[in-house]
Amino acid sequence: MSDFIANFQETLAYVGVLMPSLLTGAWYTVKLFVVTLVLSLPLGLPFALGGNSRFWIFRFVCKTYIWIFRGTPLILQLFFFYFFIPISMGIRFSAFTTAAITFVLNYAAYFAEIYRGGINSIDHGQYEAAHSLGLSKSQTMFGIILPQTMKCVLPPVSNEAIVLIKDTALVSVMGVAELMKASTSAVNRDVNPSAYLVAAVIYLIFTFLLTLLSNFLERRFSMYDARGEW
Amino acid sequence: MKQILEMKQIVKDYANCRALDHVDFSMKRGETVAIIGPSGSGKSTLLRCINCLNRITSGSITLNGETFVDTPDGKAAQYIPDKELRRICAQTGMVFQHFNLFPHMTCLKNICYAPIKVKKEDKAAAEQRGRELLELVGLASKADVYTAQLSGGQKQRIAIARGLAMNPEIMLFDEPTSALDPEITGEVLNVIKKLADEHITMVVVTHEMGFAREVADRVIFMDQGKIVEEGAPEQIFTSPESDRLKDFLSSMLK
Repeated sequence: MSDFIANFQETLAYVGVLMPSLLTGAWYTVKLFVVTLVLSLPLGLPFALGGNSRFWIFRFVCKTYIWIFRGTPLILQLFFFYFFIPISMGIRFSAFTTAAITFVLNYAAYFAEIYRGGINSIDHGQYEAAHSLGLSKSQTMFGIILPQTMKCVLPPVSNEAIVLIKDTALVSVMGVAELMKASTSAVNRDVNPSAYLVAAVIYLIFTFLLTLLSNFLERRFSMYDARGEW
Repeated sequence: MKQILEMKQIVKDYANCRALDHVDFSMKRGETVAIIGPSGSGKSTLLRCINCLNRITSGSITLNGETFVDTPDGKAAQYIPDKELRRICAQTGMVFQHFNLFPHMTCLKNICYAPIKVKKEDKAAAEQRGRELLELVGLASKADVYTAQLSGGQKQRIAIARGLAMNPEIMLFDEPTSALDPEITGEVLNVIKKLADEHITMVVVTHEMGFAREVADRVIFMDQGKIVEEGAPEQIFTSPESDRLKDFLSSMLK
């Protein structure tokens, strides 16, 4: 028993030593997550609307974009942008910028399809009512259709957000010291797998917070639902 | 009196059927017209052509002195540009069978949204008018309630108020009571009656024969895309001429 306690204290002390580098990594992960989400959420919208456009050229461009970014592995896209931009354009972005660009483009493609599905799920009668009141196409879209869409895309969007926080681990292949890379380094250096456990806990905390946020938003958005008894 | 609506030689073709077959229809300001007929006879299509929810194949429609679709000889129907078309169609108000209220807005917002956005009315003035309309349909207490919490009859009355808020030249009713339980159709029909008494121009597609007889100035019987018979309610319901109308009326009374 005393052995166990001694062991436990030793482990705690070790985790204390690990914490600074893991927290730095976690901070990097959070930054990449927030930047990606804040930029890709709105960017998905024009691609969603374009995918529904009357004009074939818009549809073609949007569908092709979505096809490419959903159709290739994210890790391949990371490598591609990491090497392609410096070689072809002669500009060297920081690893963070490159990662952010890749993630934003990739996630915007997924969000576009989620939005498009949401838009298409709105009853056609809503368009007819809007037309009969003289609303223009854009007034109908932004005043009537999208506000209702926001509610039904919330679950799939928060699902994607949770996938995203874990996908950020992929940028470790670019040598960036985010949470995954930081813990791997510690494990290799100290030949002690505890860092992975700590990283797992940190990821779980992130996803737990995201779940709370999404539950909160779902409640907010459902305020206009009829409340059933069961 | 000047015609508020004039539809000439309206043809509406779908991929494999002709929904409207050279229909002529016009109405005067202040008139209430009821359109009856078996399902699939083209009544709803005719109504929906008035505010461009359906686009006609050929013919011409003139609303309040402005022709928004016309058919040159040997060509397909030509509509005026979208923006103008929207302005003209907004002179009609429509009430749908399935209400089509905006679920993300309160009742008051449902009513005021279009006047504020389309007519650029002042928000306070629009809300003032919205509350008056809620009063008119007997739902003043529901101003700040979301529509999901209303009964079917209440929803339809809100929809009527929403249509009236744009001060339309014509109100169009597309089977306004067909989705309602029989015992609550009365509350909706009473509101429509009230509007008829105020001489608001109305076209009502309906299966409520008693209502059509009581409220309409003129009844139109349609079958297979054509107007088969039209006239004063008494004449249509008590001395129908065509066999098809006789058959239809006797089947409705069963």
